[in-house]
Amino acid sequence: MTRDIIHAPAAGLDFRKLYGHQQSVAIRANGLIFVSGMVAVDPETGERLHGSVTSEAHRIFQNLKLILESAGSSLAQIVQVHAFIYDRIEYDVLNRVYEKYFVAQPPARTVWSVKIESGFKVQLDAVAVAQ
Amino acid sequence: MSTKREIIQPKNANLNVSKNFNLPHSPGVRAGGFIFLSGMVSIDAATGERAMGTVASETRQILSNMAHMLESAGSAMNKVVKVNVLLYDMLEWDNMNRVYREFFPVDPPARTTCGVQLAGGLKVEIECIALA
Repeated sequence: MTRDIIHAPAAGLDFRKLYGHQQSVAIRANGLIFVSGMVAVDPETGERLHGSVTSEAHRIFQNLKLILESAGSSLAQIVQVHAFIYDRIEYDVLNRVYEKYFVAQPPARTVWSVKIESGFKVQLDAVAVAQ
Repeated sequence: MSTKREIIQPKNANLNVSKNFNLPHSPGVRAGGFIFLSGMVSIDAATGERAMGTVASETRQILSNMAHMLESAGSAMNKVVKVNVLLYDMLEWDNMNRVYREFFPVDPPARTTCGVQLAGGLKVEIECIALA
């Protein structure tokens, strides 16, 4: 069984190079793709785009889309999401963005209200079917 | 490699929190030989309402519902490989753990437990990945 490294499809998404995070963007194994926690950064420059839960979530989905599509998958192929938010009080704010990206048959999901790196308000990780 | 992605539903519709509370997730998804369940909170299986209680009572309700969810999808508690437990306060870790061990008496799955904020006055949320 192989374990393939998925490389950053854009320079700004290479957190290992830009920020020294000792992690790969994603790993493909056994027909699934495991994507590292994604935050709101500019995919070209890596600049951190701190904003509202809404703006950060939109940016994160765009970044996840780039990563998954570069690996031959897509947002529609996601099976599980961990949604990290900085405060449970914004749960509904997250949901209103989130539901725009999963109109039918959304993935399994758990929302964790935790502290997120660098003062971000949202972080999403994902497992998707690789195809 | 082609892998299917199938949505899992509980046989007891009261436990379909995604649908009953109009939330943007599915109860579970089967893919790549695994079943991924969304985080589950304490829901009364007879009414579908939130069953707030102690950490012990919520843990028991959740794991009982989790067994139903997995069995609805052709899996079972002894096929669970990874569990994440979210607790409102880590001081109550042992109260969760004492009930938890009833449901996984031998060769328990890998597990992580975190203290987080939970909504609606609930004290426990549990998610898992199981073999399909």
